[in-house]
Amino acid sequence: MLKDITIGQYYEGKSLLHKSDPRMKIIWLIALIVLIFLAQNMYALGFAAISVIIAIVISRVPIKMYLKNMKTILPILLFTAVINLFYGEGEVLFSLFGKINITDGGIYRSVFMALRILLFIFISSVLTYTTTPNDLTDAIESLLSPLKFIGLKSAVHTLAMMMTITLRFIPTLIEEAEKIMNAQKARGADLESGGLTKRVKALIPILVPLLISAVRRSYELAAAMECRCYNGGEGKTRMKKMRLSLIDLFLSLACIIIGAGIITLNILL
Amino acid sequence: MSVLEIKSLTHSYTDGSPFINDAVSDVSFSVEKGEIIGIIGHTGSGKSTLVQHLNGLLKPTSGEILFESENIWQKPKEIRKIRSKVGLVFQYPEYQLFEETVFADIAFGPKNMGLSGDELTRQVEEICRLIGIKEEYYSKSPFDLSGGEKRRVAIAGVMAMKPEVIIFDEPTAGLDPKGREEITEIIKAYRESTGATVIIISHSMEDMAEIADKILVMNKGKLEMFDETDKVFSNGAHLKEIGLNVPTVTKVFEKLYDMGIDVEKDVFTVNKAVEILTELKGRDNNA
Ligand SMILES: Nc1ncnc2c1ncn2[C@@H]1O[C@H](COP(=O)(O)OP(=O)(O)OP(=O)(O)O)[C@@H](O)[C@H]1O
Ligand SMILES: [Mg+2]
Repeated sequence: MLKDITIGQYYEGKSLLHKSDPRMKIIWLIALIVLIFLAQNMYALGFAAISVIIAIVISRVPIKMYLKNMKTILPILLFTAVINLFYGEGEVLFSLFGKINITDGGIYRSVFMALRILLFIFISSVLTYTTTPNDLTDAIESLLSPLKFIGLKSAVHTLAMMMTITLRFIPTLIEEAEKIMNAQKARGADLESGGLTKRVKALIPILVPLLISAVRRSYELAAAMECRCYNGGEGKTRMKKMRLSLIDLFLSLACIIIGAGIITLNILL
Repeated sequence: MSVLEIKSLTHSYTDGSPFINDAVSDVSFSVEKGEIIGIIGHTGSGKSTLVQHLNGLLKPTSGEILFESENIWQKPKEIRKIRSKVGLVFQYPEYQLFEETVFADIAFGPKNMGLSGDELTRQVEEICRLIGIKEEYYSKSPFDLSGGEKRRVAIAGVMAMKPEVIIFDEPTAGLDPKGREEITEIIKAYRESTGATVIIISHSMEDMAEIADKILVMNKGKLEMFDETDKVFSNGAHLKEIGLNVPTVTKVFEKLYDMGIDVEKDVFTVNKAVEILTELKGRDNNA
């Protein structure tokens, strides 16, 4: 159901990763994603996988939460795996319908790609589970702040504010969608059966009220912000200052080691 | 004959997590045909969760719901049929309007039940007449109506399915006194013309005292009391313990009683109060 959507959710905790600077976490995430891309063979990817598992363990977020995310992306994962199955070279293991050859290279490729996507999802979840949406947007604003010097000052703030609001309202919208779905089901709406056109049509009674309510909410929010003298970041100070600590230094070192490891394994094997 | 029977219904929103209490826990009761049942309870006590089981929107974690002696989950594929027999009007139902015209929106429910053509038109018109939606409103956009009018249209949308049991989740929330009275009138009119069984969730003890035959009290997911309205409201102390109250008139009479004036304590409606006070005045004049 809709409630199973956990991507972008924060999980309360006190782990090292929860405490570290959100700006550094974003940098590490980008670095690790690039590294996972760079990993060219199973050894390098395996090394990356071990690093991701260690990150998951020290995040102290229950593994169940990560697996829940996997459920959502399972279709994409399977699709990638199946497509890659056909694009391999090497020894033909068996043929489907006498035309499509499945090779050992294909199977290798398919597992490799699926694992890669899985690692992306897991490592991104580590960031979102250990960082509140507010910290995340503050960090992005801070990381983008150099843009201020080339005259994009208000753009940076507006972007960050838009992200904060979007993240803040995702759960609200999901809850609202669920309420409306229930109300229409109570009027006999059939959301589960029928062909594609019928199903798309069945969405109208849900999307129309949902859109209207989103627009209404945004007007209300704008009014409320203006009533509290919001003027777009001018002269705004922060309640929580972000500071680098020893933990960040330590974890940055860990990232560098992971990077060195993956690159070495790439070259050596 | 009982139209609805609820047997040890338990519902938990989280699957199996031990730290969270069940939203509804081991609730059993039955509803007779034609009764008006009021459901009261502190916020979060599980009222909305309970009623969403009665039309199969939620599936019990354990326990059974019988509609006319048949388990509604016997054939899960046919659960939609139950929804036309047990209508549910959600809180703030006006937010579910979506069609271009009032008429089309009210027709959505009966159309989903398979009605069409003249039959559909007739059934929608009948409901509109019953609850006072005038013909000139039929072709208006529901979004151009006032809040109270929208609510009336949304309620008509459920009534148009002609359910045998109709449930209202806080139907008068957010309305002014006149609007609240109008909604109460609509509910009464529907019941009188169809003989339907009515279940109402409300935070207004006064409304409950006026309209309900029986009252079901929920407390922290459990059924605390289920009895005739008079009996429930004569347990004022108990109600207060669980964050509820008695109607304001009842409080007045309790005070009078405590002051040593010779009146009944168990007065729940304005009409009864007037009756007793008139009698008291008569006694005074005679003395
Ligand atoms: N969709 C949901 N997901 C998870 N928990 C829920 C959900 N809906 C309700 N709950 C929880 O179940 C419990 C009962 O909620 P419910 O909405 O049934 O209460 P209620 O008596 O209707 O309250 P109110 O008077 O405020 O409407 C509450 O603790 C609530 O937090
Ligand atoms: Mg409720």
